[in-house]
Amino acid sequence: MNFMDVVFYVFAALTVFAGMGVITARNPVNAALFLVLAFCSSAGIWMLLEAEFLAIVLVLVYVGAVMVLFLFVVMMLDINLVRLREGFWRWFPFGAGLAGLMVFEMIYVLGARQTSDTGGNVVHPANYSNTKELGRLLYTDYVYPFELAAVLLLLAMVAAIALTLRRRVGVKTQNVSDQVQVKAADRVRIVKYMQDGSTDTSAK
Amino acid sequence: MEKIKHYFKTFLLFELLKGLALTGRYMFARKITVQFPEEKTPQSNRFRGLHAQRRYANGEERCIGCKLCEAVCPALAIKIEVAERDDGTRRTTQYDIDLTKCIFCGFCEESCPVDAIVETRIFEYHGEKKGDLYYTKPMLLAVGDKYEAQIAKDRAADAKYR
Amino acid sequence: MMDLLLSLEQAGQNLLGAFWLPLWTLVKIMVIVGPLMGAVAYLTLAERKVIGWMQIRIGPNRVGYFGLLQPLADGIKLLMKEIIVPTGSNKFLFILGPIMALMPALAAWAVIPFNAELVLANVNAGLLYILAMTSLGVYGVIIAGWASNSKYAFLGCLRSAAQIVSYEIAMGFALVCVLMAAQSLNLGDIVNGQKGSYGLLNWYIVPLFPMFIVYLISGVAEANRAPFDVAEGESEIVAGFHVEYSGMTFALFFLAEYANMILIAFLTAIMFMGGWLSPLPFLPDSIVWLFGKVAFVLFLFLWFRATFPRYRYDQLMRLGWKVFIPLAIVWVVVVGAWMQTPLWVW
Repeated sequence: MNFMDVVFYVFAALTVFAGMGVITARNPVNAALFLVLAFCSSAGIWMLLEAEFLAIVLVLVYVGAVMVLFLFVVMMLDINLVRLREGFWRWFPFGAGLAGLMVFEMIYVLGARQTSDTGGNVVHPANYSNTKELGRLLYTDYVYPFELAAVLLLLAMVAAIALTLRRRVGVKTQNVSDQVQVKAADRVRIVKYMQDGSTDTSAK
Repeated sequence: MEKIKHYFKTFLLFELLKGLALTGRYMFARKITVQFPEEKTPQSNRFRGLHAQRRYANGEERCIGCKLCEAVCPALAIKIEVAERDDGTRRTTQYDIDLTKCIFCGFCEESCPVDAIVETRIFEYHGEKKGDLYYTKPMLLAVGDKYEAQIAKDRAADAKYR
Repeated sequence: MMDLLLSLEQAGQNLLGAFWLPLWTLVKIMVIVGPLMGAVAYLTLAERKVIGWMQIRIGPNRVGYFGLLQPLADGIKLLMKEIIVPTGSNKFLFILGPIMALMPALAAWAVIPFNAELVLANVNAGLLYILAMTSLGVYGVIIAGWASNSKYAFLGCLRSAAQIVSYEIAMGFALVCVLMAAQSLNLGDIVNGQKGSYGLLNWYIVPLFPMFIVYLISGVAEANRAPFDVAEGESEIVAGFHVEYSGMTFALFFLAEYANMILIAFLTAIMFMGGWLSPLPFLPDSIVWLFGKVAFVLFLFLWFRATFPRYRYDQLMRLGWKVFIPLAIVWVVVVGAWMQTPLWVW
């Protein structure tokens, strides 16, 4: 067992532990933080596979952005544990069936992978760039599905904004753009008092 | 035209640069910091610092225990007990000022008919325990004895305005 | 110098075998982190001095000549202070918070090149690594704010998290322009891409000037510095996410903030100002230039703090989403089009 194997087993054990934590933690914030740990350790495993671009993007996107927003929501939840535990046994058969189905699917997929040829260990030249290779593939062979996914995401984004954007009447929020546009001349008028009591508004 | 000018000013961060220029200029301005223990700012002769009890030139304490200062004190920092002395004069047996309560308003000084309780220019006093700032009569008299010359000079300088 | 290091490495390899690599890496990490911590300490002094001067004061000058021992005194004071863990807080996460704040601020230094050879890890995806690490910094704030079990800390952490996530996008797009210009994610290659016979005019700051501004301002927001320090907002929410922290746990947040500042200054110098390249073509390239540029950017940070009042939160969000992100996206397109024409000379 060499150094790489040790690192792999450490990361793998950490991932499994974190995964267990996600589903067993009572507090949803702890569960979300366990999920962050799971993402980080699986990023480590991908790094071992020399997929450094994917590993870093996993950390950047999932840990750095998605989970932050997730935590945002979860932190503000008010959770009643007793109510959550209600009806556990009623839903148990359904949940167990779903879990069984997922196990079956995973065995099926991974089993099929085992038999097919993965190409073994590919030796890359020193200046091989994972990132460049991925970009080349995405923008040539898979450009159509890639663009399709991008359009779908854009659509989802626009839809999410359209669903949540609503104009309420009677709220006293300030319009920052209007505030920024204000010039001193609109608000302040400098008046100079003359000796004889008259005023000169032209004074600067 | 005005609007375009405004947009240009906004995007070129004109006002921010003006602000930066101002602070940048002040960075090289002559500094006005007073190096405290070595240098001190000038004090007014009306400065209201640590309290003191004064005596007459013959060594007799001024305070007659009228309790006007106790009555006027807005922070209830003064406590006075009065008794008749052997020679038949009215004197205080206890005169305490709790400096942790005192707000240094100077009302005690104003109300005193015999100029007995005064506030001096001393402001650099301290106590290591809270109790150290509870000034009793002997302590106040000691402060008065020590700084009498300065106190008298300040009263004299301010006399014509009173 | 380089030969000496190489022969030392060879000797160590022979002596310690498999244990040599981790040990040698550890030594290299110490060589970076040690001076970094010193720089952080003296940056706090510089900050107090510069802001003092701008407010016509003289700043700390009592501890040591010119106040030079002040950071040391502050450090000792914070070390001696008691760490108070609030009741009802999650103790493990409460302690983890400051560690998570400092960890990414230090981890990002692994890929920062100091000159053409001097870099701890010459990673191909260095820029992505930096982005990933800086995006992790927000966890320290979130965990600290939530674990403190205090509403001020919680409000501070929510503000900070939303702010950092928002400005990261603008920052990312600004860096996309840089990597389009450099055609590489490797920080060393990015600096080398700015090499040329015209010195200063070859730097990416010239074609990407709007992005330089966007990056610098987003950097100030990322580091939670004034005028974007709404996460702390002394006048509204006491001290924000670290209100419950004392002693060394507080010091870690402090270290993280300043280490982040130095990191962003280094990145600005490397991405836009040509790193260790000299501004005038007849002067030699040297690490001194890099430090000079970093010092300049850090001075800007302090200057901003002394000059600008704090942004209101909705103004801050508007600036990020409605000004910087559209501007950055437009500039990505502009640079893309520009690079297709012969006018692109960088």
